Amino acid sequence: MNPLFAFQLRRVARNRQYLVFTVVLPALFTIFFTKIFGGMASGPGEYQRQAALYMVSMMAYGGLGAALGATIRISFDRASGWLRQLRVTPVPQTQVLAVDVAVGALLTLPSLVVVALVGRFVNDVQLGLGQWLALVGVLWAGAITFVALGILLGLALDEKAAGGAMGFVGVVLATLGGLWAPVEVFPDSLRTLAHAMPSYWYAELGRDVAAGAVPSGTAVVVLAGFTAAFALLAVAVARHRPLHAVAG
Amino acid sequence: MTSAPALDISGLTVRYGETVAVDGLDLTVPAGQTVALLGPNGAGKSTTVNAVLGLLRPDAGRIQVLGRTPLDAIRAGSVGAMLQHGGLPSEARVGEVIDLVRRSFPTAWPLDDLVATAGIEGLLARPVDALSGGQRQRVLLALALAGEPPLLLLDEPTSAMDVEGRRAFWTTMRGLAGRGHTVVFATHHLEEADAVADRVVVVAGGRVVADGSAAQLKAGGATRRISFTAGPGQDLDALPAVRSSSRQGSTVTLTTADAEATLRALLADGTPLPDLEVRGASLEDAVLTLTSSATTIGARS
Repeated sequence: MNPLFAFQLRRVARNRQYLVFTVVLPALFTIFFTKIFGGMASGPGEYQRQAALYMVSMMAYGGLGAALGATIRISFDRASGWLRQLRVTPVPQTQVLAVDVAVGALLTLPSLVVVALVGRFVNDVQLGLGQWLALVGVLWAGAITFVALGILLGLALDEKAAGGAMGFVGVVLATLGGLWAPVEVFPDSLRTLAHAMPSYWYAELGRDVAAGAVPSGTAVVVLAGFTAAFALLAVAVARHRPLHAVAG
Repeated sequence: MTSAPALDISGLTVRYGETVAVDGLDLTVPAGQTVALLGPNGAGKSTTVNAVLGLLRPDAGRIQVLGRTPLDAIRAGSVGAMLQHGGLPSEARVGEVIDLVRRSFPTAWPLDDLVATAGIEGLLARPVDALSGGQRQRVLLALALAGEPPLLLLDEPTSAMDVEGRRAFWTTMRGLAGRGHTVVFATHHLEEADAVADRVVVVAGGRVVADGSAAQLKAGGATRRISFTAGPGQDLDALPAVRSSSRQGSTVTLTTADAEATLRALLADGTPLPDLEVRGASLEDAVLTLTSSATTIGARS
């Protein structure tokens, strides 16, 4: 394994808060929401629909939160001077970036898998094996959008703002994207806003798969567009913010 | 081996907006020298170091590190650097950080010896967040040395250290020079430059204003200080060889390039000179003379 990759992975894994917020919390919410809304279901079919919907929403919430949490941390490394220190070692800059992307992508997986397991074994969501794999697969792939957003925020924000953004951005994206309450119950204006959120389209990938369909082209195109925009902005920010201390 | 100098800077100019931080600086450091970049804060030392490390893009000038561009030299593992406000990652142990950096270089300094040289015995298992200021500096030195690079750039390496730590660090730095490393360090401690460097380059206003051994600088700058008690009204600046004069209460201090000529003139007019004292100027006097004149020139232009 690449030494920098192993090093970065070990650092994030040491952070208990990270594990609680990206794995335990979404898993608990999955049970909580399903108990409330599933309990109001008129029959077994309706319960399945509700339970699958909340499981997918919480997988999306956990996935985007994990991707953001693993990458916004870049801001701390920038503030501490560690990014600058790495610049004066032979480690190529492209490798530093590639490792951040890889760590963000890999750390999304635990929350997706744990929430899926809770959905299956606690809430009794019934899907075919292929569907389960596809569900985790599309949400894992789609998390790249939030890896890109997290890297952008990590590069653009200073340490304090980044600390706040780690929790805040995930919650805002989840709320406005209809992960807590489905967009069906939103008023029209908020529903339009929800459709402008990458989180809505991210969950849409999972909802399509859970409904036995192929992810909609619209969702894929919108997420690809967001990813490209975040990545381009991240490159622009990286170019304009020097890593050296401007003094002396 | 190679005949290329460890460091070759010509015409280096760096601007931050309207401010000229480094103004056409030239400096060549042959392999094996220990060079102090000495100057006050804002003289352009850190900017020069950052430019040599490729951390900023100069507005003009050319930098060659062991015959390569800064970025190529760093990628080749030829440079180790200790940056001002240097950073260590949170949520990591000292040993892990050192291991990561050692593995990134083509050749690694043997770990036991590195630990002893940098003076970080017993710190490898410690979390980075639990280090004291002086310990952090020593860990950062270990990172700079990790790849046994031929050129070491240290930007104010002892700034977070107490007196004892600083003296121990100087011993380490002299040891590095003894092993054949080229060491270039920025400092605003004259004592540090005097104790460690075999060449002192004084930087002020983004330029080199003096370059030589500490002894040469002491001799070449202000040479002697004459102090005595005097009443007001004497025109002291008109005396021969006087470079500057200052007055604290009734005590007058003259800095002179030729103590004998100044004294003769003082004694010639028969004024009594109570508490007369003649002393050799310190390196500090020499540097203050050099940097203040450079600043005045800078302010006028």
